[in-house]
Amino acid sequence: MNLARKICTLPFQNVNKNLYRKLRISASHYESSTYSQPQVQEEKFDFEDLKIIERTERRKAQIPPFMKNVFVSVFDRDLLAYPEILNKEESEALDQRIAALDRVFFDPEKTKDDRKAVLKGTKMYAAPVNLTNGGLAMNHTESLRFLDTISSDLQLGQELSDHWVSLNALKLGLPEDSYQKIIDDLTSGEKTIALCIKERVAERVLQADFRTVAEMDGRNVWRISGEKVCTQVSGYFLVLCTTHDTGHLKMFLVHPGAEGISHDDTYVSFQKTPGIPLDIVTEENLAKTLGVSRLHTAALCRASLLQAMQAVADYIRPRIFAGKPLSEISSIRSVIGEALINIYASESAEYFTAGLLDGYMEPDAELEMAMCRNFIAQNGLDTLLKLIAIPNVEMKAESNQLLDNMRSLTLRGETIDSVNMYIALNGIHHAGTRMAEEIKQIRNPLFNPSYILKKILADRHQEKDQPKLTLYLAEHLHPSLRVPSEQLEYCVLRMKFACETLMARHGMEISKAYTELNRLAEAATEILVMTAVLARASRAYCIGLRNAEVEMKLAACFVEKSKERVRKLILEIDDGEYLNLDHFKVQFGRKVLDTKSILVEKPTARVFW
Amino acid sequence: MFRNMFRTIRPTFSNVLLRWKSSGTEKKVTMYDPFVTKPKKNKETYLEVIKMFEGNDIRRRGHVEFIYAALARMKEFGVQKDLEVYKALVDVLPKGKFIPTNIFQAEFMHYPKQQQCAVDLLEQMEDNGVMPDYEMEQMLLNIFGRRGIPLRKFWRMMYWMPKFKNLSPWYLPDQLPNDTLELAKLAIQRITSVDPDTQISVWQTEEIEASLDKTWIVSAQSRIQQVLLAEQPPDDPLIVKGPYIVYLKDQVVSYFLLVGKIRPEHNDDKDLDDVSNIEKPPGIPGFIGNTKLPAIKCTVHEQDDGTIVSVCATGTSSRDSLLSWIRLLEKYGNPVLSDIPVIFTLTAPPTDIAMQETQPAVTETDDEQIKRK
Repeated sequence: MNLARKICTLPFQNVNKNLYRKLRISASHYESSTYSQPQVQEEKFDFEDLKIIERTERRKAQIPPFMKNVFVSVFDRDLLAYPEILNKEESEALDQRIAALDRVFFDPEKTKDDRKAVLKGTKMYAAPVNLTNGGLAMNHTESLRFLDTISSDLQLGQELSDHWVSLNALKLGLPEDSYQKIIDDLTSGEKTIALCIKERVAERVLQADFRTVAEMDGRNVWRISGEKVCTQVSGYFLVLCTTHDTGHLKMFLVHPGAEGISHDDTYVSFQKTPGIPLDIVTEENLAKTLGVSRLHTAALCRASLLQAMQAVADYIRPRIFAGKPLSEISSIRSVIGEALINIYASESAEYFTAGLLDGYMEPDAELEMAMCRNFIAQNGLDTLLKLIAIPNVEMKAESNQLLDNMRSLTLRGETIDSVNMYIALNGIHHAGTRMAEEIKQIRNPLFNPSYILKKILADRHQEKDQPKLTLYLAEHLHPSLRVPSEQLEYCVLRMKFACETLMARHGMEISKAYTELNRLAEAATEILVMTAVLARASRAYCIGLRNAEVEMKLAACFVEKSKERVRKLILEIDDGEYLNLDHFKVQFGRKVLDTKSILVEKPTARVFW
Repeated sequence: MFRNMFRTIRPTFSNVLLRWKSSGTEKKVTMYDPFVTKPKKNKETYLEVIKMFEGNDIRRRGHVEFIYAALARMKEFGVQKDLEVYKALVDVLPKGKFIPTNIFQAEFMHYPKQQQCAVDLLEQMEDNGVMPDYEMEQMLLNIFGRRGIPLRKFWRMMYWMPKFKNLSPWYLPDQLPNDTLELAKLAIQRITSVDPDTQISVWQTEEIEASLDKTWIVSAQSRIQQVLLAEQPPDDPLIVKGPYIVYLKDQVVSYFLLVGKIRPEHNDDKDLDDVSNIEKPPGIPGFIGNTKLPAIKCTVHEQDDGTIVSVCATGTSSRDSLLSWIRLLEKYGNPVLSDIPVIFTLTAPPTDIAMQETQPAVTETDDEQIKRK
């Protein structure tokens, strides 16, 4: 029992609105510019061929993980300066390539082959590879920009995303000589690499969840057996397997046309297929590399939503309702506006995350990537449904296509729930390491009476849902964003309280409280997106980008709405399963599943006459 | 209060009757019981008797005695659960005569004997779980008026009976089937409702040539149970336990379990308060769950005294039929049973196997020996 919560808190309502906060002098917390990190120059030279110089990376020193720290209400204010990764030359080169791609991808007369040709021409199939190997040494920010264009052909976008991620994994996993042997073939663009990770859900009780096994045969060749979800039928496969006994995971590269591969509609099965192991990469690094596909999924989802918005806008423009243009109906305008807010928010979060990945040494941004994916997957589907409701049945085929695209993207590789679980468990793990001592004391109140008394006093503002805003985020943003920044601050400060509540309530069993963890993950996701949106709008306004004032309004609107969502989610966490009705919903669901009926009688049924 | 008062009055009437009976007069009236003379005892004849009584005498003398007699005969005619019959009986009472016309009558039990009779009738309905309807209310109103005790009884019944009617989580039809096979199916369905995945199959022992008892077997097994059975250690014998009984309303069905070994209990002695190392997923997109098998007790079929791998009810509940059951289980999806020994520990074998051996194969109709009460 969380005793500190049970005892009534003292209502010092006026004390916390102290004079100092009211007369807040904006510079009083400004820690001068000395804290900005020195830039680390890292230049790589390939000494065998001094003519080609590798791309210079300008990364700042390592920072603590951003979103993980938000779970304990620690906020890195430096990140409110939106990342600027590309310098002038890089940016120009990027624009040129994008322009070349644009010409083909947005021309409705070009065929798929044309598009593939231009991808090959712009070295897209080799983009993440080093310059020495004929690639572009593309970083994440650039990959997002490329994907923005390429994703107008969704299938190509998905293929390329898998390909890029796989190339990065191969670079880490293969020994240098074998990597050099196959890299030319991989980057030619003839054969892409498909990721094979997900499997069917187990159908027997004594079946492991993950069943693809790799075994070493007599001639020291790894043989893969199992079945994977994968739609690609030709090309290379990168297959995740477990090796016997230890249960460790390992990636294997399977060449096209290897023996024992057979295809089903959505499944690829391997029967003693030979594979090359990615030996030198750790499981953790593998997860980091593959996690980038989540970021790509977010970009693809956003592009898909953008496509839908444009299609609907095209539909609306020439049409008339009651003697007025259809576009004058405010409900239609607001739906379009909402779509724009979501697209803007998602785009900010993606580039923000890419900035974290590109701008710092040894970035720990897996959580942020997962959040980007979930934010747009969830909101994108909701918004899309509203959008395609506007043309009603008139654009049936196109609407179906849009919906199907979005649905398959939100399920790309994994479900929203499993990603949410990943976010929440990682966050709570991080919070657990920081707050273990505290939680132990809260869970044993009678052994720690003095701590509990202190806690009662310390948490009194949180209990009233009015945390003291002590982060002073407004000082790092444009002054006109002061109200939204305070809303963000509120959300960040509530996160530690939410984690504390959850851990105090469940202890180690928190990893089974799925419904509550889902809420925590959603709240954290909103916080990341709010941060990114505010930082981007502030930057745009400060440097005077075109339509920056629209961005400011978009940001303010988004944060206003998002703050309410976070507030509600965290209040629901605080309320517990009975007040937020989880308990009952779970019971209903369990009964329906157990009894194979819908439990309720028809309203016309009678007991007596 | 009225009810109590009424109860105290009631013996007085019987005392009077007794006194009259034992007064020693020579003349004794032999009651003519129309129910005894009916050769066929079913609903039609029962209603016929009531009609006859109504037609006999315009004053309907002795209607209270008649109703009591009729209530006592209900089981015999098999109509004790039939609302229509109860209504016909209530209809015997004259309309209007028993309605009190002033407050004294209303307060001091107008026609107590008749009211008690109607209350007893309703009581019998309640005991048999027969729900009255609004037409019955109307009839009682016409007979006893708003202040009658039977009406209060009726209203109380209408408050409680609907609440209890569907309280059981296991739904049964109002009329249980007469066929024991159908009953056994219902019983096994109820027992196995813990696992919605359970498959119930009906087999005939004729399929096994060596069987002596020719009867049916209702066997239930879910896919999880099949797997649990397949994973049983081959040296340890399985045990057939039973017979256990299960009640379906007033019917009893006996059933048997096939029980195996249990897997070790999930033993978790980690400190729940220490959150410094909460487990987190590996984070590879698309990878969820475990690569290892769960090796601990985790299904509903694994109880403290053993893993229940199948349930059955047979037509004869004999050892031979259970042996056939094991053979049939082996035939339908559990090949492992050919290797694992099975022990029969029936606490009290319902039929002697030696008897069965000397008898010829019995026909289907004789098989309905599921224990009934």
